[in-house]
Amino acid sequence: MSAPAAIGLVALLLVAGTYVVAVGDRWIAALAGGRRVRARTLLVAPVYSAALAMTTSRTTTERPDGPGWALAPALLTSLAALALAMVPLAPGIVAADPETGFVVFSAAIAFVMIAVFLHGWSPNSMLPLHGAYRYGAQALSFQIPFLLAMLATSLPAESLSLVRIVEAQAPLWNVVRQPLGLPLYLVVGLAVSFWGPLNLPDGDDLAGGTSAEDAGMARLLWGMARSSMLVAVAAMGAAAFLGGWHGPILPGPVWVIVKTLALLGLILAAGHLFARIRIERFVLVSWALLIPLALLNVFVSGAFLL
Amino acid sequence: MTPLVRRLAARAPVPVYPIAGFGMRDAVQDLRLEEGLVLVDTPRAAALLLVAGAIGPKHRDAVARTHDALPHPRATVLWGGDGDGLAIADAPRIDRAADVVPALCDLFARLVLGSRPTEEPILADEDPIEWRGVGPYGQGGTGMTGGTPYGRPMADLGPDRDGLRLDVVPVEIGPFFARLPAGLVLDLSVAGDVIVEAKVASASLGVEREIQMGAARSPFIRALSGPVAIAELEVARARDHLRWMAGALHAQGMPSLGVRALRLAHEVQPGDGDQVRNFGRWTARTGLFHWSLPSGAGRLAPDLPGMGLGPVSRAAGLPEDLRLADPSYQALGFAPRVLDADDVGARWRLRVEEAAAALDLAARAGDAFAGLTGMVESPRGRLTPGDAPSDRAIALIPRLLEGLEWSDALAALVSLDLDLDESGLAVSVDAAVAV
Repeated sequence: MSAPAAIGLVALLLVAGTYVVAVGDRWIAALAGGRRVRARTLLVAPVYSAALAMTTSRTTTERPDGPGWALAPALLTSLAALALAMVPLAPGIVAADPETGFVVFSAAIAFVMIAVFLHGWSPNSMLPLHGAYRYGAQALSFQIPFLLAMLATSLPAESLSLVRIVEAQAPLWNVVRQPLGLPLYLVVGLAVSFWGPLNLPDGDDLAGGTSAEDAGMARLLWGMARSSMLVAVAAMGAAAFLGGWHGPILPGPVWVIVKTLALLGLILAAGHLFARIRIERFVLVSWALLIPLALLNVFVSGAFLL
Repeated sequence: MTPLVRRLAARAPVPVYPIAGFGMRDAVQDLRLEEGLVLVDTPRAAALLLVAGAIGPKHRDAVARTHDALPHPRATVLWGGDGDGLAIADAPRIDRAADVVPALCDLFARLVLGSRPTEEPILADEDPIEWRGVGPYGQGGTGMTGGTPYGRPMADLGPDRDGLRLDVVPVEIGPFFARLPAGLVLDLSVAGDVIVEAKVASASLGVEREIQMGAARSPFIRALSGPVAIAELEVARARDHLRWMAGALHAQGMPSLGVRALRLAHEVQPGDGDQVRNFGRWTARTGLFHWSLPSGAGRLAPDLPGMGLGPVSRAAGLPEDLRLADPSYQALGFAPRVLDADDVGARWRLRVEEAAAALDLAARAGDAFAGLTGMVESPRGRLTPGDAPSDRAIALIPRLLEGLEWSDALAALVSLDLDLDESGLAVSVDAAVAV
């Protein structure tokens, strides 16, 4: 795929995905809250909110780190774009297919910590800083199980290329071959994208945490960056565990979109139907349960290949 | 900004940062049910500031700081209260509850479309103390040593709690922190995310007694000076507990379920206990008791005997309930729910059970009236003129919070169900009796 086409594809996926997250999250919130809401209202609400953000001024705090504050959402969006670029939509339709696609994706996930910490550090304010440090603890705990859950998917493919990983699922999807993989991936995926029960850095108990001082476009851009990361995590889950483009009747890209939407729906619903986990409990569960389970997943997957 | 963008923006749900002044706690909470509004947690996310009810002089600077934190374009609406001393010129004043939402929507549309100017800052944008640091982030300079540079106390080294000796930083929370009652100000010393020391700097809105005496009365306040039907008291108790659940669910990261709890608070009638039990089972399936509330944290048992803190006492195994001494309740076979876990989760479970039991009791009560005078078991505990349970609970806050991480501390604070309005109203009843 040519560079302009690849950039266009990733941009399209980011914009469409962010919009879907905005609509879907409002819809699930209304369902969970027992409110009836018209489809038209749901569909236009993100547009109105974005317009409001554009008419609202930015604010500042006492001696913020201005460049860091402005860069944080750009960095998070860039990392989401990088991760999304690795997701194959169909044979030959992928923005980038390096032999080490898995490593590139993992590197993007690792750098999310930098973006979130920068976003919390920069306003020079108590609640955002508290959120930033929380994500530090969260990220140190989810990195290993996240990598291990993903790593197991490269074993059947005998490759770190994500296209090969999807191709290797032609006879059997990884969600069946590695039953522990997808649940592990979704839990740590929630932590990566700090959404719902694992929205610790931007939690309600911190009045918004790292985004508590954001106004106007800064708030909109950070929200879009978070949604982009969520889309990237869901799309990669569809590719790595749900067989990517494999599926009957429908064209490959449609299957990828359907599977991504299904995972997005699960993640968004979890955001409204599960209570926020305590950071101490998450750290404990990550190190004492998720890492051993993820290792077991790798060992069992490897054993089947011997 | 182009007119098209402004027209689109004017159709967005109105982001409002509310300040619930005296007597307006429930009315402000009810705005969460309005589809055209979004109550936001930080003034940075708001276009309108809603000051509902009276705010005492001691918090008016905080109102001004909150006002100035809103981004432009911004405007203020005063609902009830007189707004005196708030120095917000030209803010519309609303008296009737029915006018609030239309007024907010109208003001928002005019503000965004540009037909109403944005409000200028109330406070001067200047440093609280002359800046003497040399570098852009305050580093260096003679003013940085040993004093309170830039108006901020320096971090100090605290005791070694867990093998990691961290700086202890003083922070102030309140008086308008979104998850806590308006008027509550906490002075905390935190090491990392752990509270080393907590002090209550303010536990009231500081409004004049005349305003308190003129405020609307809940059935529990009315029961202090006259007979009230048991059915009315018990339905009000169930609704109060459900309102508490709405706020507590939000604090645990589930605002949507909080809205459902609030709607349930409006809808329940005598005999609807099973509806509340079903909702309680639903909330239990959210992982609330497994991974969200701090198990075993927030214990207060040694301080509780005789405190009469209602669900807080009964969750700790103390059958303290004024209804036990009321012959009218005895005739209905009333027996209080009691648990013995004495932690945040137990208080949650007990309130759900009490809300359901209260609705069952209301259905059985018929036309019976409560038999005690001058005292009543409010949803928060023993209430007498001049002595409200929240006042007694506030004295426990320093010990309650010490050693807790912030989210656990907040869950523990929320579990006390502090109602500063009830405290003020109890004082006003006391004053009326004295007169």
